Amino acid sequence: MVVGELTTNCDVAVIGGGPGGYVAAIRCAQLGLETVLIEKGQLGGVCTNEGCIPSKALIHAADIAFEAGHSENLGIVSKTRIDFRKMQKWKDDVVSGLQNGIAGLCKNYGVDIVKGRAFFTSSNKLTVETDHGPADYDFKNAVIATGSVPTALQGLEYDHKWIIDSSDALALAKVPRRLLVVGGGYIGIEMATMYAKLGSKVTIIYRGERILRQLEPELGIEVQRGLPLLGIELLLNSNIVSWKAKGKKAYAAVKIGNSTKKVLFDKILVAVGHEPFTKDLGLGKTKVQLDDHGFIKVDAQRRTTDPNIFAVGDVAGGPMLAHKAFREGKVAAEVIAGKKSAFDNIAIPFVVFSDPELASTGMGEEEARKSGYVVKAARFPLSASGRARTMSTKAGFVKLVSDADSGVILGAHIAAPNASDLISELSLAIEMGAQLEDVAATIHPHPTLSESVMEAAEDGLGKTVHIYKQKPSQ
Amino acid sequence: MAVDFKFPDVGEGIHEGKIVKWLVKIGDVVKSDQPLVEVETDKAVVELPSPAAGKILKITHKEGEEIKVGEVLVSIGGEGEKAPAASPVAPSVVSKIVEAVKGPAAPAPEKPKRVLAAPATRALARELGVNIEAIAGTGPTGRVTSGDVKNASSRRVVSREGAPIAIKEEKIRVSTETGETRIPLSGLRKIIADRMSYSKSHIPDAVGMDLVNVTRLVAVREREKANAEKIGAHLTYLPFIVKAVVIGLKKYPKFNAHFDEEKQEIVLKPRFNISIAVDTPDGLMAPVIKDADRKSIIDIAKEIVELAELSRTRKIKLEDMQGGTFTITNVGSVGAMFSVPIINPPQIAIMGVHRIKDMPVVVNGKIRVGKVMGISLAFDHRVTDGAEATLFMNEVMKHLEEPELLLIEMI
Repeated sequence: MVVGELTTNCDVAVIGGGPGGYVAAIRCAQLGLETVLIEKGQLGGVCTNEGCIPSKALIHAADIAFEAGHSENLGIVSKTRIDFRKMQKWKDDVVSGLQNGIAGLCKNYGVDIVKGRAFFTSSNKLTVETDHGPADYDFKNAVIATGSVPTALQGLEYDHKWIIDSSDALALAKVPRRLLVVGGGYIGIEMATMYAKLGSKVTIIYRGERILRQLEPELGIEVQRGLPLLGIELLLNSNIVSWKAKGKKAYAAVKIGNSTKKVLFDKILVAVGHEPFTKDLGLGKTKVQLDDHGFIKVDAQRRTTDPNIFAVGDVAGGPMLAHKAFREGKVAAEVIAGKKSAFDNIAIPFVVFSDPELASTGMGEEEARKSGYVVKAARFPLSASGRARTMSTKAGFVKLVSDADSGVILGAHIAAPNASDLISELSLAIEMGAQLEDVAATIHPHPTLSESVMEAAEDGLGKTVHIYKQKPSQ
Repeated sequence: MAVDFKFPDVGEGIHEGKIVKWLVKIGDVVKSDQPLVEVETDKAVVELPSPAAGKILKITHKEGEEIKVGEVLVSIGGEGEKAPAASPVAPSVVSKIVEAVKGPAAPAPEKPKRVLAAPATRALARELGVNIEAIAGTGPTGRVTSGDVKNASSRRVVSREGAPIAIKEEKIRVSTETGETRIPLSGLRKIIADRMSYSKSHIPDAVGMDLVNVTRLVAVREREKANAEKIGAHLTYLPFIVKAVVIGLKKYPKFNAHFDEEKQEIVLKPRFNISIAVDTPDGLMAPVIKDADRKSIIDIAKEIVELAELSRTRKIKLEDMQGGTFTITNVGSVGAMFSVPIINPPQIAIMGVHRIKDMPVVVNGKIRVGKVMGISLAFDHRVTDGAEATLFMNEVMKHLEEPELLLIEMI
């Protein structure tokens, strides 16, 4: 391989322009470091281009369409027609707007953006294959933020026509009439819900016994209960054994328990997780090591086993979440700039834009118990929330997990409209070491769903006003 | 055979429930799996089926009552059977449930020690290089505050007895001028500096003071001084004071103690080892009179002279410096009416005794010239309070004012 003769020196080379990478690059630049950000595709990574942002845009649009057609009890009678092409165009505008925003921020902060594929040639050198040929960089520190890629399933390899991944699912030209979703995780559930609301006939095929296993059991149950109302068919303990396309028609053989049935489909979305992306990075030329699952090993500073090289985001293990990557990117940048920073977060929130929305932070009830706490679990149902009534919703709840001895809040689990926004109060509470009393004694505005958080805290203290509980007999 | 059906953990890690409704009554004959009772846990209302067929012999809890996991709900037996006195576990059906009760409890993990501190406080601890896990927080439920971190940073402490205590503080800058002499703080002086800084900045001390009429003690000492000299003992007031203090310590054992900061425990000491502050050219040392309760005044007098000499010549052994449970500092040999001594951690208190002076005293309503000594007691207010400290001082003072009482207390 011919390697360019011109070598550029920099303080920090960041590989990957997703949430972990671009944030690390900007923070490095803010701290006065000469920073190069290398991205082979689009700035913003999976999150901005093929994940969080486009999916939330389409889910929002789908929600409006669905609500409009299902609000007759509120006196809204409408016949909704969906112009999917226009919806996609709008979503693409949202994405490109954010891409431009990131590019602008990088430019303004003085981050040098290089387009191309990077690979290490030593612990302080890397080469970028650009459109104009290879370019060499000498760096004092590097940050690997190469993210993850969708995991493929044997027998259901992505052909991006019949068998699609989550990125494809967000870029379809038309709403599939018959959509099979393989996987019971949050991406599968979000996509299933979105397309069902847009008019697809959706079947979720999942090998497990209950969906959204990574969350508090009640949360998954809450969503599972709502699936039939959306017309979504859920096949548990099932999998696709084979599929065949003939002309414009395709069939899958779905095995449920001991029986197999033939299902017609337009698309099969495989959403069974993501795996870290470290391929062709030249890590062999560095001292960077991977763990047993292929993630880069890092410490609390997000330093790899090669002292000059850091790793953040999906590639560095832990929950694959943009907001975790954001925080890690800042930590790594600060450490590189000589600051005593560390990723010491206790609560990493997890949100699912299902129906209802779900959000979790901190410990689950069982997890807390297994770690030795005497647990007090408290809850408040949305059916008792005035605001929920005004939104024509009754499903959902707030559940708080606390230490029975001290009242210190250990975890929170919410199923509610805007649960994703409600959860942050509780992440802050957990990071601050707050007790139930702290949340219960804080005034929450009325009428809002956030009152339910306060009420759940009061339930934990045995004094919620808005649900009647008989006093235990003396 | 009758079986006791115990309230099982219904699979969700609950600890108790409330009896909502009995579906059977005493005397009913039930089938296996027939619903017996509705119990409300903090999760849900559950219906518990009978583990066995038989007759309901006993119902232990009324509707509305709380029942804890493992408590007997009902006794079920064959016709004509009586409820078992003991509570054997049903062999077949119940055993499965009982296992579920035991299952999760078996490993019994210790409650995790999580530091409660805000993110900004944790960041401050990293910045100052302080191990936040070692800080006892002063906030609600032990939350570590930024103030706690700053305090911990300014006095990094090893409070083991005798071990030097490292201090790290913001240094005050000193301007220099020509002609000054600079003496490096080293050796004993450094240890004293560190220990005193630690004690003064760490222990919330309080001080009590009083005047003791030691007229009779002076007379006794004057009378016995020559006799003691003959048997090779230099009799000062200090041995008498040591004895009086030991009597006080026996009555108020909290002053003959150490404070274990880590465990937050007061450690009452079985021995009465009195540290005596000795002024040496290098600085203050505190050799220990071990088991002062079992030694005579003359023995103590001799030992004080020996230990003081060994201290001054720096020949004293480490073991003679360790194990003190209470300190007496005799400021009186050089002067001062009153002093405020600094506690020698991990001890809890220190007594200062001062110069004996001729002063007017009131005896039976008349003013006389008496021999009067000031005493002061500094104590760790975390461990005890002023009232007890004063009572302890009173006890010591009583034995100094009436030295013959020492005879009564003698072993």
